[in-house]
Amino acid sequence: MSTKILTQHFNEPKLHELATYRKLGGYKGLEKALKMKPAEIAAEVAKSNLRGLGGAGFPVGGKWSTMPPADKAPERYVVANYDESEPGCFKDRVLGERAPHQIIEGLLIAAHAVSAEWAFIFIRGEYGIPFKILEKAIAEADEAGLTGKVRVRLMRGAGAYICGLDTALLETMEGKKAWPRQPPPFPTVVGLMGQPTVVNNVETLAMLPHIIVNGGDWFAKLGVLPNPEKKLPGSGGTAVYSVSGDVEKPGVYEFAMGAPLRAIIDAAGGVRGGRKVKAVIPGGASTPPLSASELDTPMDFDSLRSVGSFLGAGGVIVLDETRDMSEVAHNIERFLAHESCGQCTPCREGSEWTTRILGRMLEGKGTSGDLPNLQRIGENITGKVICALGDTVGMVTRGFMKKFPDDFKSKVPA
Amino acid sequence: MSESKTVKFKLNGREVEAPEGRLLIDAAKDAGVEIPHYCYHPALGNPGNCRLCVVEVQGAPKPLVSCRTFVKEGMVVASDSPAAMRAQQSSLELHLVNHPLDCPVCDQSGECGLQDYYMEIGRYESQVREDKLHKGKRIEAGPHVMLDQERCILCTRCTRFVDEVTKTHELGIFGRGHGQYIDLVPGKTLDNPYSGNVVDICPVGALTEKDFRYKVRVWYLDETDSVCPGCSRGCSTSVHTNTERPWHNDGRRVARIKPRHNPEVNGWWICDDGRFGYDSLDHDRLGRVMRLKDQRRELSWTEAFEEIASALASRSAGKGAGGLVVIASGMLSNEDWAAFKVLFVDTLGVKHFVFGPEPDQLGEEDELLRKREKVPNLKGGQAQGFGTEIPSASWDSLAKDIEAGKVWGLYVVERDLTKVWGQRTADLLSKLGLVIFQGPNKTATGDLAHYRLPATAYVEEEGHFTNFGGTVQAYKKALEPLGSAKPDWAIFHGLAEHLAGDRREEAVA
Amino acid sequence: MTPVAAAKPFTAEEEKVLKSWTAHYPYPIMGLLEALRQVQLWNLCVRPEHEDYVASLFKTTRTRVHELVTFFPMFTQAPTGRKRVGLCHGLSCALAGSDKMAKCLEDKLGVPEGVTTKDGEFSWEEMECLGACDFAPALLVNEDLQGKATEDVVAKVARGGK
Repeated sequence: MSTKILTQHFNEPKLHELATYRKLGGYKGLEKALKMKPAEIAAEVAKSNLRGLGGAGFPVGGKWSTMPPADKAPERYVVANYDESEPGCFKDRVLGERAPHQIIEGLLIAAHAVSAEWAFIFIRGEYGIPFKILEKAIAEADEAGLTGKVRVRLMRGAGAYICGLDTALLETMEGKKAWPRQPPPFPTVVGLMGQPTVVNNVETLAMLPHIIVNGGDWFAKLGVLPNPEKKLPGSGGTAVYSVSGDVEKPGVYEFAMGAPLRAIIDAAGGVRGGRKVKAVIPGGASTPPLSASELDTPMDFDSLRSVGSFLGAGGVIVLDETRDMSEVAHNIERFLAHESCGQCTPCREGSEWTTRILGRMLEGKGTSGDLPNLQRIGENITGKVICALGDTVGMVTRGFMKKFPDDFKSKVPA
Repeated sequence: MSESKTVKFKLNGREVEAPEGRLLIDAAKDAGVEIPHYCYHPALGNPGNCRLCVVEVQGAPKPLVSCRTFVKEGMVVASDSPAAMRAQQSSLELHLVNHPLDCPVCDQSGECGLQDYYMEIGRYESQVREDKLHKGKRIEAGPHVMLDQERCILCTRCTRFVDEVTKTHELGIFGRGHGQYIDLVPGKTLDNPYSGNVVDICPVGALTEKDFRYKVRVWYLDETDSVCPGCSRGCSTSVHTNTERPWHNDGRRVARIKPRHNPEVNGWWICDDGRFGYDSLDHDRLGRVMRLKDQRRELSWTEAFEEIASALASRSAGKGAGGLVVIASGMLSNEDWAAFKVLFVDTLGVKHFVFGPEPDQLGEEDELLRKREKVPNLKGGQAQGFGTEIPSASWDSLAKDIEAGKVWGLYVVERDLTKVWGQRTADLLSKLGLVIFQGPNKTATGDLAHYRLPATAYVEEEGHFTNFGGTVQAYKKALEPLGSAKPDWAIFHGLAEHLAGDRREEAVA
Repeated sequence: MTPVAAAKPFTAEEEKVLKSWTAHYPYPIMGLLEALRQVQLWNLCVRPEHEDYVASLFKTTRTRVHELVTFFPMFTQAPTGRKRVGLCHGLSCALAGSDKMAKCLEDKLGVPEGVTTKDGEFSWEEMECLGACDFAPALLVNEDLQGKATEDVVAKVARGGK
């Protein structure tokens, strides 16, 4: 039941080379796109119901459409967000290592769709191997004349999860530390160097060639169709999941939108050592956990929202019955405290405070006030900060406390 | 914005009007509602990082920061609703998690944003069980400013000031997350000519004035509106004085000088020269009316007026008014200049004046505030004709005239001639039969005079200065005069009256 | 202050490389992060004189450069080892026993976290998610992922890859 778009040729050992990629139909999407008008491409993408696969799930067609017209703002940019840094997420790494041209092709289509002459790939600095592969692939594409008038440039980050947030990424590209901006204006209006800029995740971009070749309708139908009655936008196509934690075969697995969580875990060989699932983080460490009773939840943006979590970037982390959720929460909060950019007070102070309270509880020094306090601190952070990382800081511990209260109660005096 | 439209919105249940496009936090302030905030400063922008100014806006899914929200027609805003208050309180609580709470030894106590808001919207019981994070303390940021990184709440006002206002970039926000700290860029010193302003804009005790540290508690201070006499900009200031508890502040009456917001003159700032140049107000002051020669003796004002008036009158009659030269400076107030003119031009008919700022009253000028003329009121003199129809003579020609015996008397107002003539001064003055010095402070010139008259410092009188651009500003009396000191205008007036009296007597005789 | 003729922080060849970053993107300033990364790799740290040079090359302030250097963990102000070893302790790697591998690194390299060996060859640090949860606990040497950290892999890294 696994539906493959991006990973369909992953068993091809030389997929990262241009010749192989082209032999398998690569760059047909770009070829077709170049014959289309930018507006036609955007319309096809809007029809596909492709949503941003980097975490936010924003409709891609909708994002593009907020750009001012090219004749009014001729200087414009496309940025591929390859700053994958969230615990549990590694699918972008694999997509770049295995099929770099798929990303480049998508990026070139996006550049054409928004009439940009510069296209960037901002890749996290620790991805040395994908960087080298992409660098080579870009050179190949350049040499083959595929990039055309679009100049494609790579840029490496230097170790900050927050750069995965579009406005923080743009700040960093401008030579500043990664402090998120506070839209509006959104990057499509005021982005890189003050110019209209589209920032899309690399997996999202990699979908574009397939949408152009096969049509938006095909893509939309593969996934979850919109439900106008419930005002649910649906999500087209597939998603590539990074599955890790307590599973037999960690790795990337591609499924159509709406596939049940259980199927994804099964694809990864099920829970390691034949143990039972205790919890699953569905979308990466920043997304609230699901319990063992929620394994039939369809994996798509709307369904996960309805159970109080997020599809995020599809980083599925399986936690077996031996795991203590207060330790898990502590690990994630420590990560967030380390990655908090420090710009706004609630996130900066709240992430550190939460981490220290959890750490103290795990040292056996919990107090009776700690649980209500953690709850209260979380509530006081989420919704009162500049960016989504801060919102997460306030959600993670509350999410685990809600579903696994015993793991927390056992750390404080009764 | 020209012709801005007015919008109506509801604030805390009250119908309020504001120009369209105004920030909610400003519109609320206009309507008398102060929304707590740290990072926002009207002159330094609205980074929205402190998250304290959160308000509830009807229809918004979450609380909004009022420093980044614009007023709109029909908006319904609550800054005092339970949700808004709770959001503000929680932001305050998070600001205090790692704050050292060392208020008893902090100079900001009494005017601290953390203290004030704790009393206003806080008043919760601390839930912090963890140890505080430690960062740098007692860092000498520059000649005037001390930095305490533990007290800092990272609002970034100071870094924005050095980036955007002075463009000197001495301070940065380094590190990341909770390990973040404000610090000097390695190798730099916070020594720009406006460094003291960072102390004013710091809402907490992270940046404090070196001179003011541990001197006097702020709640013992009186504040008086004043005008800086440091240059022809004439920045609006507030003079903070400590008189009730003279054992504090090392016995000095003036504890500090702060800028007073005046969009027409200085905006929010003053320079360090103006801010810290108040030593002369409490040091080396003249308080007694003195005849220094011949026969050194303290005089009453009446005696002094009589002696000086008769000396001036008799010498003028005998040797002509042309031999009397009057030296003044732009330190005089408009009131002083008026009395100055009555005495020297109208009554005595003096022809030779020296009042130009060069060379001793000139200094650095920049594009921000500082002006080249280091006196506040040359314009006020111009209004009386000094510098327009009455020219200022040069120091060189004056020295030559003295050498040539053309001058019999010199009346020096608030100016130290040794700064112009150096070691020649004593020799030149010794050739004169009558030298009168009038001013607030001891000077070498004063010591060489026949008569030395104590004038009040500007903080001991009230008056007006007209700045370089023609703006007239009032300064108020902050302190009582020291000793027998009188305002300059009162001294001129007293002499003029006695001279008029002498003439009347002459006429009768 | 007496002006001291500072030793040039970079060779002519290095200066050429750094300068090339000012022309790599549509705006010179966009090359700043890559240039700093290059400086870190050459010198195993970014020193004040490097910051000064880079700031003037990219026509920005020393403040901005120092902010970058202290914000991003990739940059250090003291030299790392020539082989900079990163052990991921993100959630999936922690679940896979990254704490044991941390102990193993300390034993095999003979230095605690964040300390460079006397010969300057190694330093190691726990890092946040390396994006290799499929190889948990993930091990990185300089820019290259080594895969799953085991005692054998760590021992091999400590032997210089032999």
